[in-house]
Amino acid sequence: MPDAIAWVDEIAPERAVSVCGAKMGRLAELLEAHVSVPKGFTVTVDAYRRHWAQAGLDELVDAALGGLGPEAGPAEIEAAAQAVRAELTSRDISAELAALIGDAYEELSSRCFEINVPAAVRSSAIGEDSGSASFAGIFDTYLGVSGPDRVLEAVRQCWASLFNVRAVAYRLRVGTHHRDMPMAVGVIELIHARASGVAFSAHPVTGKTDRIVIETSWGWGEAVVQGLVTPDHVEVGKADGRILRYRVAAKNVVSNFDYAIGRVVETAMPARLVDRRVLDDEQIAVVVDAVLAIERHYGYPVDVEWVLDRHRREGEPVCVVQARPVTITAPAADPAPAEWNPAAMAAKYVFRS
Amino acid sequence: MATVIPVDEFITDEWYPGFKPAYTHAPWYIDPVQTFRKEDEENFWFLDFHWPRGLTPMGLIWNEDGYNWSSQLAAEQMPLPPGRGITCRLGGTHTYGSALPVNDPREIGQRARRLERSLPPFLQNFDSIWGDLREEVNESWDYFRGVDLSALSLEDLRENLIQARQYHKRAFEIHFQVMYPLLANYVGFYSMCTELGLDPGQIGKFLQGYDTKIMETDRELWRLTNAARAAGLDSVFAAHEADGVRAALAAQGGAASTWLTRFDDFLQVYGWRTEGSCDIALPSWIEDPTPAMGMIKTFLQKDTEHDFEAARNAAVEEREAAVDAARSTLTLEEQKLFDGGLASCRAANFPWWQDDHNYYIDLRISLPMRWACQAIADRVGADHQDDTLYLFWEEIMDVSAGRRPYAGLRDLVEERKQYFDYWLQRRPSLPKVVGTVPESVNDPILIEIFGLNSHFLRAVEAVGSGGEVKTFTGVPASKGTGRGIARVLHNADELHRLSPGEVLVCESTSPNWTPAFAKIAACVCDGGGTLSHAAIVGREYGVPTVTAVGLATMLIADGDEVEVDGTTGRVTVLKRAAAGQAEG
Repeated sequence: MPDAIAWVDEIAPERAVSVCGAKMGRLAELLEAHVSVPKGFTVTVDAYRRHWAQAGLDELVDAALGGLGPEAGPAEIEAAAQAVRAELTSRDISAELAALIGDAYEELSSRCFEINVPAAVRSSAIGEDSGSASFAGIFDTYLGVSGPDRVLEAVRQCWASLFNVRAVAYRLRVGTHHRDMPMAVGVIELIHARASGVAFSAHPVTGKTDRIVIETSWGWGEAVVQGLVTPDHVEVGKADGRILRYRVAAKNVVSNFDYAIGRVVETAMPARLVDRRVLDDEQIAVVVDAVLAIERHYGYPVDVEWVLDRHRREGEPVCVVQARPVTITAPAADPAPAEWNPAAMAAKYVFRS
Repeated sequence: MATVIPVDEFITDEWYPGFKPAYTHAPWYIDPVQTFRKEDEENFWFLDFHWPRGLTPMGLIWNEDGYNWSSQLAAEQMPLPPGRGITCRLGGTHTYGSALPVNDPREIGQRARRLERSLPPFLQNFDSIWGDLREEVNESWDYFRGVDLSALSLEDLRENLIQARQYHKRAFEIHFQVMYPLLANYVGFYSMCTELGLDPGQIGKFLQGYDTKIMETDRELWRLTNAARAAGLDSVFAAHEADGVRAALAAQGGAASTWLTRFDDFLQVYGWRTEGSCDIALPSWIEDPTPAMGMIKTFLQKDTEHDFEAARNAAVEEREAAVDAARSTLTLEEQKLFDGGLASCRAANFPWWQDDHNYYIDLRISLPMRWACQAIADRVGADHQDDTLYLFWEEIMDVSAGRRPYAGLRDLVEERKQYFDYWLQRRPSLPKVVGTVPESVNDPILIEIFGLNSHFLRAVEAVGSGGEVKTFTGVPASKGTGRGIARVLHNADELHRLSPGEVLVCESTSPNWTPAFAKIAACVCDGGGTLSHAAIVGREYGVPTVTAVGLATMLIADGDEVEVDGTTGRVTVLKRAAAGQAEG
């Protein structure tokens, strides 16, 4: 089964998304753009399809979901989805594939100079991050998974999350089939985060493309991404890299790695960190460098998740764990006039015409 | 549902006893000055702060020449895309103003395109345009100063009054022709800055610190103050009311006489101005120097000498620092826009012009008409010099032409004086706005000079809906927080009621209120924007000031304890005077 595993630093970037799904495929593309990304491998779309066929899952899923039309009620969907997931998580992964995943995990630990390195296991479906269909946050991610058995279990859970209620309901609504979005799963080293956050190469609300907006907090990025904490807000001018604003927020919650249970958990922020500014100027600069490199690579505004490693030293790059086209809530602002035009300004602001 | 405040109490055909206009006596461009009728309720009218005492019959000339001719003419010529200028209605002797809208979208579009062509050259050439117009105003001013009215026949006095009114009318054509484009540019810049995320409280600072004629006057007043102190005259000022200081100094002789000579020299240069804006009923400082004496008296109460140069340098430094701080938060692309707007607003500087034109136009342009009216009063045997100010234009034209004997108007003049007094008493309780409260207002004069922004309109609605309002919001005009007992004043005559540490609450302030800022803890105004007189003086004196609160003079009672936050624009009543108890 030669194509079941694809390493981020080995897969050809032009094939990466089709083999590894959107999230993991992009990491390979980022590497090509000389952006620093975590070490890791993908259990490929191919592996998923093979598992699917061997376990005879098609008949099972068709039987459970086939009766659901676009008007299916929430209770109906919930029951059907649950039945599918229960079945999926009870089917064993073939010994061959399990061995391949176990070997790759051992290789990852070795590359990280660790034994049973804590890993992030994340869903990476085909098409999940495309500009039109946003499955953002729908599929599962497990942080801090340690040991081959747990990794295997997390892979199976990620596959099953293709049939969680939200995903099933969404596909019913837009009329796509689960076969059109096969699920690869990424296994990457868990970066021990001093601070992390998101960054946009356009203002996410106003749509202005003249700046980079960064939101950040201490520790892992989950609290920021899930909106559990009010992050520090930073705006940087794109043309000259000047920091325009730094708003320090009161950060009351932190995502941290709990070694006892091997998971990232949310706890109260230590008092001394609540009101402390997260990023210094040098750290802001490396986040900006990464975002600019990614935007240049893709040629459109991007939304980036990044982590500052606890052991990072000054001058080293920031680690990017995810990048996708930016989703802007406001329509692109009117093309801003480049020069002061008194009549146009009066029309816009005074006469409101 | 829209809030409507009825106009019924003002509906009448008669302007003053014995006068119903035929609407042929004064020109108007779009809409004439009128008394209220019921249908006026459909529009939105605000009580004009310029004339807190009300206007005499001759004073109403300003409404005719100012709003209903000049503002309408300027709005049509510039043009103002959505508006045809300002019109007014009379509530007794008081003026309610309103914007005249353009409603046809096609016409608004055409007007907007015309403005695109007319505005940039005006702004670019502002210096020479205003220079020429000011020269025109000054040339006529010199002419009227040079006429010896005592040597003129009644017929020639009549001719002189007609010329003086023509001058008055022309001066206000100039006034609005300059004011509208300057304001459109300034309000556009202000709004853009707000959208760029700049602190609105800082924007006024970007344009401060440029010398004006009014500053020059203040500087001379401080010099006179320092001279009085040096000559040991403090005690004379302290011992007498402002209107008695002159006689006391004259009686003392010696150094006091020397100082009085210097004071009179000052008046000859800076004393040709009235206390309030645009009112023929107000004397100049030359005629009655009490206001100038009063300012010096107040300045002497301050312990330290005011260092004018230091204050000006501080204003310039503050300006440059505010600009640097603002620019540092902008991207390069935004800086380019900001710099362009700032350069444009500096080349055609509205706040600067506000002071400059007040000196050349608003504070003195009524004086030639006043002199002619007074000379006619002498000539026709009126009891007092000011009695002719209670005649309407046709009446004084008839009297001075010998077509109508003054004796027949004598009783009417007395009746009209009583009418004026009656409405003067009513002023504090007059509604600040009447008619239908709109969603928004888009005449730049109404927004910036009268403060009819969204804060104001929402405050009016809140009160209209009967809600008990203890916290009001207005425009943060001068930063800082001040707390004290409120003194609700309706005109400058009441300034003596203010004690140090109290909070001044008023419709708005004008230059004669300035001395009060040396002692108050904070200031709250019904109207005005970031560049109104109170805002500018508040910043200069470091007095927390909130403008455009809407109905502060009605909602805050004399004696209430209030807190004014000039940084956020919030005004809170902490304790009611009558109840004497802390409120929720």
